[in-house]
Amino acid sequence: MKKIILLLLGAALTYSCASAADLQYFQVYKPKEGMTADEIMQIKYHNKYSLFAKDYESIGDVVFIEKDGSRRNRRFLRQRIILGRVSDDVSYKDLVMFTQPTSVKGLATLTWNYMNPNRDQDVWLWLPSLKKIRKVSAGQADDSFLGGDFTVEEITTRRFKDETYKLIGEEDFKGYTSIFDGKVFHKGEPCYVIECTPKRKPCYYSKRITYVSRNFGGNILDEIYDPNGKLYRTLFRGWIIMNINGKDYPAQNRVEGNDLRTGHKTAILFDEIKFDQGLTEDIFSEKTLMRQRW
Amino acid sequence: MRFKPKIVLLLLLCLMVPVSASYAALEIDRGPIYGLLKKGLPLKNLEFAGYLKNETALRIAHGFDEFMKEANIAQLQAEYKFNDNIQFFTTLKWFYDAVFALENKYDRDPKWESKSNKKIKYPEKLQWLRECYLDILTDRLDLRLGKQQVVWGTADGVRILDIINPLDYREWTLKDYIDTRIPLWMINAEGKLLMNGQLQLLLIPDYEPNYFAPAGAPFTLRTVRLGAEAAEKVTTTTIDQKPARDFEHTKIGLRWRNIIEGHAFEYTLNYLHTYDFASSAYTARTAAGAFITRRAEQIDVFGGTFSKTITEGILIPGLAKGWTLRGEFAYIKGGAMNYGQSGAKVPVLGIDGSISGTVDVDQYNYVLGFDKTFFTNWQFSSQFIQMWAKQREKPPTFNKSTMTLLNGVTRGPLDKVETILTTMIATDFMHERLKPQILVIYGDDNDWRISPKVSYEISDQWLVTAGLHFFEGKEIYLNGGQFDKNDQVFLELKYTF
Repeated sequence: MKKIILLLLGAALTYSCASAADLQYFQVYKPKEGMTADEIMQIKYHNKYSLFAKDYESIGDVVFIEKDGSRRNRRFLRQRIILGRVSDDVSYKDLVMFTQPTSVKGLATLTWNYMNPNRDQDVWLWLPSLKKIRKVSAGQADDSFLGGDFTVEEITTRRFKDETYKLIGEEDFKGYTSIFDGKVFHKGEPCYVIECTPKRKPCYYSKRITYVSRNFGGNILDEIYDPNGKLYRTLFRGWIIMNINGKDYPAQNRVEGNDLRTGHKTAILFDEIKFDQGLTEDIFSEKTLMRQRW
Repeated sequence: MRFKPKIVLLLLLCLMVPVSASYAALEIDRGPIYGLLKKGLPLKNLEFAGYLKNETALRIAHGFDEFMKEANIAQLQAEYKFNDNIQFFTTLKWFYDAVFALENKYDRDPKWESKSNKKIKYPEKLQWLRECYLDILTDRLDLRLGKQQVVWGTADGVRILDIINPLDYREWTLKDYIDTRIPLWMINAEGKLLMNGQLQLLLIPDYEPNYFAPAGAPFTLRTVRLGAEAAEKVTTTTIDQKPARDFEHTKIGLRWRNIIEGHAFEYTLNYLHTYDFASSAYTARTAAGAFITRRAEQIDVFGGTFSKTITEGILIPGLAKGWTLRGEFAYIKGGAMNYGQSGAKVPVLGIDGSISGTVDVDQYNYVLGFDKTFFTNWQFSSQFIQMWAKQREKPPTFNKSTMTLLNGVTRGPLDKVETILTTMIATDFMHERLKPQILVIYGDDNDWRISPKVSYEISDQWLVTAGLHFFEGKEIYLNGGQFDKNDQVFLELKYTF
């Protein structure tokens, strides 16, 4: 029995040490010369979840583009508060409220994300068709996010510890031509090229090659390979730098997924991006979900 | 010319063909109806949404040539924001079910039912004002004043604590509760006492009984049919005792809801002082005929709920990770139930199918639910429900060896403990455009309901749903048996704006 307790204590200490090595909340980090692939990817995840900021808000427009060019849309309001709170393990809380079209209007989710990398999210869902809050399990990592051409983990749940990383080169990014409006983004951006391999087996992808900006540490493009090693999907993230109270915050203003097998494409365009407005934690409670009317 | 169901189905399918899905970038087209509304009422703080819908159902047993429903529905919702703290919301709904005109076999104005509930006199249309309330929102207190639905509980499709609003059973429980709950005028105050802890107070002066389909309708409850049959044979006087809509009869609800920080364990404690929406029938026979007194019993409900997602594992890391567990319990004090010879067809007291008398009961109901997503996007949700009714007294006419408590809906015998299992499996394909789902409800008296359906999102505005409802079991049983002959196929076409 004592051995078991010691083992558990050991495991807890190991986790504490691992946490201590993580980047600090509310700090902006940029890659530096000579960093390892792991260090670069830690910054990348820090930026992905906006852990440098106190809060975040944006309007998202999701556009599903069929092979024949026809489109369907979703519009949502997203709010996030970053807490990094050790006492209850909460890293950040997210609210997503769909506002259009009418078929999804009123649908809203509250998500609590934890600092412990082995802990799943807690998710509450407001279902207009039930008019009540429903506790639901977090989406599976490989499930499609919002029905688009990216997975749940690619957008919301993937953590640094989920993959191993190898720096395979540095190059100026060739530029990405948007599937949505044909504009070219991030041409000539100096990037680290990192190969990411999933730790869990089996997995829906064998590896991804990611291009991480040397300037601000955001990943611009993922080339995702299927279990047979064939490139089957790309995931682009467009970034802008926003100066907030004298700090340069990297912010994603678009995400585009392109399934090379089916020809289906999905774009999420973020607008009205705001940081550090002073959102309070009160908003990130069931009360906000209950206020939904539609 | 009489419409034939197959022609209507063909027309519906034709409607779906010319749908266009072309949109300008980032301009979510909400169609001409929305455009007209916005043009007609160009108020900056006014927002609309709504839908037009056709619901068609055909009885399978008659070669798909008998309508069970041919309903056209229009719903309009409007929200006006005076400012961030004061907002008005309303839902207006109109529907007309042509089934009573299309099929001569359905009786639209049965004497028995219209006497007791005049609102059901025309079952093909009812209640255009679904919601109408004013929200007063502050950091500490939210007030919702007006006609509304309030939902308690964690269970799906089963009403354990979700009994604040009565229910419209005219299509049994085939529709979503949001469409079948009957909204009530009330004061709904929710105060924030902790970061994730809220206390809710409900004051409900309004009262409506459950709505049952009249005798002769496609989904007439067995108890309604037996009552109507008996009433034809003897002079019957029905006396309804409903609570008045006044301060003295105000219903009161209290709920404490909290999430325990660090564990994300959510629980509620609930109390409701109300009147039963399904009246208890007290029968008496005199020389002048039969008297039925239908009384809405005053009840007190004590209950609670919990829900918890296993995010790390139970006891050891990873065990049961990803499962969401939820539960709900209610103790109902003060209700009453009929008792009689189970399933008897012989008129007792000469007026009714099987009722020998009425007795006060205590009821204990609970549900445990288990949810998880498997294989990427296959959602599995299962519920285990038990309901126990206990007599508070033994009336002199109650013969323990031949009589049981009766199910209020079917007048079938109630087991000491009724057990129901439900399972729902749902998934999606084609980037969440195609969504199949199957719901299975099993009652421990070997009665079933199996309801598969599939919906397809044609575009942002058009949705089509097709499905089946299979019922199986003896007619005295609740979950499927009483509608054993009502197997149906249905098609729904919805346009949202």
